[in-house]
Amino acid sequence: MTHEVLIIGGGLLGCAAAWHLARAGLAPRLIEARGINAGASGQNAGSLHFQIERRFLEPGASGQGADIVRLNRLAIEEWAGLEEQLSRPLDIHMHGGLMLAESEADLALLASKVARENELGLPTQLLSGAEARDLVPRLAPHVCGAAWLAREGHANPRILADAFAHAARASGAVIETDSRLLDLHRDGHGWQATIEQAGQISTARARHVILATGHWTARIAARMGLNIPLYLAPLMMSVTDRTAPFLPYLIQHVGKRLSMKQTDDGNMVIGGGWASAPQRMADGMPDLDAPPHLVPDNLRANLAVAASVLPCLRGRSLIRSWTGMTCISADQLPVVGQVPAAPGLYIAAGGSMFTLGPLLARMLARSIIERAMPEEIALFSAARFAHLNAFVVPS
Amino acid sequence: MIDIAIIGGGPAGQAAARQTLGAGLSTTMIDEQARPGGQILRQPPAAFAVKGWMAGRLYRPLRRLLAQTEADIRLDWRGGTSVAGIERIEDHFRLTLSGAHGGTLLARRVLIAAGCYDMPVAMPGWTLPGVMSAGAVQTLLKSQQVVAGQPIVLLGSHPLLLVLATQLLDAGAEVAAVLMPQTYGRMARAVLPYLAGAIFTPGPLIAAGAAMARLRRAGVPMMMGARPIGFTGDGRLEAVDYAWRGQVQRIAAQAAAVSYGFLPQSDLPRQIGAAVRWARPAGGWETVCDGAMRSSIPGLYVAGETTGVAGADAAMAEGEIAGIAMALDAGVRPPSGMARAQARRARLQPFIDLLRAAADPGEVWPQATPETLLCRCEDISVAQVEATMAQLSPMADASAVKHRCRIGMGLCQGRSCEHALVRRIAAARGCDPDAVTPFRMRFPARPIPIDEIIG
Amino acid sequence: MSRIADGVTRPAPITVEIDGAMVPAHPGETLAAVMIAAGAYRMRDDRSGAPRGLLCNMGTCSECFVWIAMDGAWRRRRACLTLVSEGLCIATQEGQP
Ligand SMILES: Cc1cc2nc3c(=O)[nH]c(=O)nc-3n(C[C@H](O)[C@H](O)[C@H](O)COP(=O)(O)OP(=O)(O)OC[C@H]3O[C@@H](n4cnc5c(N)ncnc54)[C@H](O)[C@@H]3O)c2cc1C
Ligand SMILES: Cc1cc2nc3c(=O)[nH]c(=O)nc-3n(C[C@H](O)[C@H](O)[C@H](O)COP(=O)(O)OP(=O)(O)OC[C@H]3O[C@@H](n4cnc5c(N)ncnc54)[C@H](O)[C@@H]3O)c2cc1C
Ligand code: FES
Repeated sequence: MTHEVLIIGGGLLGCAAAWHLARAGLAPRLIEARGINAGASGQNAGSLHFQIERRFLEPGASGQGADIVRLNRLAIEEWAGLEEQLSRPLDIHMHGGLMLAESEADLALLASKVARENELGLPTQLLSGAEARDLVPRLAPHVCGAAWLAREGHANPRILADAFAHAARASGAVIETDSRLLDLHRDGHGWQATIEQAGQISTARARHVILATGHWTARIAARMGLNIPLYLAPLMMSVTDRTAPFLPYLIQHVGKRLSMKQTDDGNMVIGGGWASAPQRMADGMPDLDAPPHLVPDNLRANLAVAASVLPCLRGRSLIRSWTGMTCISADQLPVVGQVPAAPGLYIAAGGSMFTLGPLLARMLARSIIERAMPEEIALFSAARFAHLNAFVVPS
Repeated sequence: MIDIAIIGGGPAGQAAARQTLGAGLSTTMIDEQARPGGQILRQPPAAFAVKGWMAGRLYRPLRRLLAQTEADIRLDWRGGTSVAGIERIEDHFRLTLSGAHGGTLLARRVLIAAGCYDMPVAMPGWTLPGVMSAGAVQTLLKSQQVVAGQPIVLLGSHPLLLVLATQLLDAGAEVAAVLMPQTYGRMARAVLPYLAGAIFTPGPLIAAGAAMARLRRAGVPMMMGARPIGFTGDGRLEAVDYAWRGQVQRIAAQAAAVSYGFLPQSDLPRQIGAAVRWARPAGGWETVCDGAMRSSIPGLYVAGETTGVAGADAAMAEGEIAGIAMALDAGVRPPSGMARAQARRARLQPFIDLLRAAADPGEVWPQATPETLLCRCEDISVAQVEATMAQLSPMADASAVKHRCRIGMGLCQGRSCEHALVRRIAAARGCDPDAVTPFRMRFPARPIPIDEIIG
Repeated sequence: MSRIADGVTRPAPITVEIDGAMVPAHPGETLAAVMIAAGAYRMRDDRSGAPRGLLCNMGTCSECFVWIAMDGAWRRRRACLTLVSEGLCIATQEGQP
């Protein structure tokens, strides 16, 4: 039997794509090596970053900020409709987000960022320190300004992929956990996958294959002889004990790595792109399956940045830190769609794929259903890196 | 960088330190408690004078070891300090500490001798203030010289309750009853196969007999076959309900001491990825080791209750073995005493097996109701956990359930609820608890104040 | 009075403040022991507002997580591991110091 679509990976991207394809009647099969949501999709900070993220303002990142705003505007609408589409509560909070400034230099950066966003149709607003403190009275007195976006926010990463998987199954998708892709190669007009499930090896044929394998994607592609410029980003997150609700917003920082929010349960979740250290395999390559080590200096620095803008954090206790891996692309923008050197093979990775995942999964599904890349995401097509595969001999 | 870090100042950690210090290795001992001693010899505050403290004959070797430990100026003792994190970096270890001596500590070898803790057993009303573990009541008594409350009811399947009852009586406390769910007949049947072997270590058995006699003299009802049902009270414990000869009985109490067994402390071994296995019969995860107490991680050793709950004598023997092994592996000491310590440990096994069999609640495990909280930190009920499990594939592991309903996400890192969740998953799957993947243990093993981290 | 008197010599008492009440304590005692000796079994409230008290008395369960006033702010600590000192002020619910 030949599947119309075989999806590898049961994270947010894979599960959401499965749902869109299933609703279109394509009855996809999804295989997940571990459990649904066991990867970055279940470990991330849950921030819905719709303002231009600080990483796009760093030296070296030039035009990408503008490109990403286009996508973010679509993502805002995607998230706004999600609970209704999936007809279940998803702990989505789009009550607003503040990107803070602590210095004059921060403020200048913030002002130019807001101007650029407004030009691109994103309604961020520049607030004074006092206005920011009106929103969050516990912000430190030296916070001197903020960019406010009313529809930013956060969602609960622990339940979203499940909700998509559940809906996908109900629409006819077949979802198998503990099923690992071992090998993938071309087979006529389609693909043949070798799959290990509970110690049993089997093969499956498919016309289209989606590698929704997060930070594993580049290595899986490399084994097929394909170059995908996705690089490992090992990160860490921390969470404190619960406290009475006081922060309905997403907090970021324009000059420092920080993301912070309060969950429905009252815990403070703190992150913002601080690195952890991957474990190494015998040959020195990072071990993609093992959780990275925490870097104590980064933990300290992350918490210090957080407590600097929100001093009440000093009264809380750290109850859990964890690490996870994701990947960024060579130009920091997502890489989505068919890999030109491998017709029928699709990817979607690189970037803040929690924020963008629901949108890009829908676009990916559309590009299979409509046999063409949707206009809206043409900028993010994998084709922009086609030159990297110029010397690949199709297998 | 030090040679040896020992986590836990109980009998196991102390016995190991004697060996490593004797071999000339720089040794640091870290313990959350202010003073060394571990759970069995939890010491009173240094400023107290307590006449005849833990004077019993059975405690003598432990007291001698403790005196040696406290007198040894070579030992770098760091009390009041929790080990929150452990990692292996290249050829050494990094410990993250919190408390009196916070910060990080680098060591070439680490011994985890973190002991065990009372198994938390979910039953109706068990979150009422006044309902405590037997260990809590006992350590309040022997260390703080405080009676946890009276009248006090002791309940559960573990014979340690007899020791506790006599200690409470000695302190002049009013013990209302000792309720043990097993009948005499059942306990006798359970221990019979081990009796012959345990004859070489008669001390504890004699002590148990003496304790029963002492209770009888004091007029404390010692009810075998009384099955605890739950606790009631308005804002704090007022009464304990139990089933006795087919009828529900209620007994007034200000405090209750519960003991159904002990779980090895496994958070640090699991955080660093050492191999563990399901402990039998009480449950929890014991760290796997070889005959020289080496864990599956090179340079990491384990001893005492961390390797399986076996009592203080076994902890001392294992600590000694681990200490010798660390010295051997560091290449600083000829291998003497190892065989003797190993033989001493082996001789204890029949009594350990006997005690485990005697304490096993088996089918007299207390019953939680759907409203009973399984996770005390996040307030997750049995019903919520069951509903979550029903939505997941039967193959879903403990972390999958945790992510969806928050069981085990709180301050205790799952120490209180994980064993119960693993049992439930195993029962639902019809498999052995060993086959269920437990929570991933995260840093920090104890909550750390954020201002302490930032400095 | 649940402190054992017979055969136990303690240093002269100090006073600590628990939810606004002045409670006697002896240097070296843990906060948990002081609270229990004073009959203050409640150490925190759960999310439904139900009271919770000491469970393990060895730092493992965190049921004894109380608020301690330190340098003008509240800090949460495990009462069973915290030693008392003169002037210690604690609360079982988050409040203003
Ligand atoms: C700590 C952290 C914080 C983050 N914070 C944010 C944030 O706040 N906002 C945001 O937008 N993004 C954030 N991200 C990024 C975001 O989480 C990821 O981009 C996103 O979850 C990727 O989803 P995915 O489905 O592509 O990958 P994943 O969720 O990683 O899923 C990939 C799946 O593929 C499976 N798989 C891999 N190999 C195979 C194989 N051979 N066979 C079968 N299955 C396989 C894996 O088991 C895994 O389940 C964060 C990431 C991390 C690690
Ligand atoms: C409360 C309690 C009471 C007991 N009473 C008796 C009894 O009366 N008779 C009997 O025979 N057995 C008793 N036991 C069993 C007892 O554990 C053993 O007999 C003996 O104490 C085990 O020695 P050990 O060295 O393995 O562990 P322990 O004596 O438990 O020592 C472990 C030490 O490690 C410390 N520790 C643990 N984790 C950390 C961490 N993360 N950071 C820093 N320090 C840490 C603890 O504070 C503890 O002091 C009791 C057990 C408990 C839990
Ligand atoms: S009572 Fe368990 S940590 Fe204090």
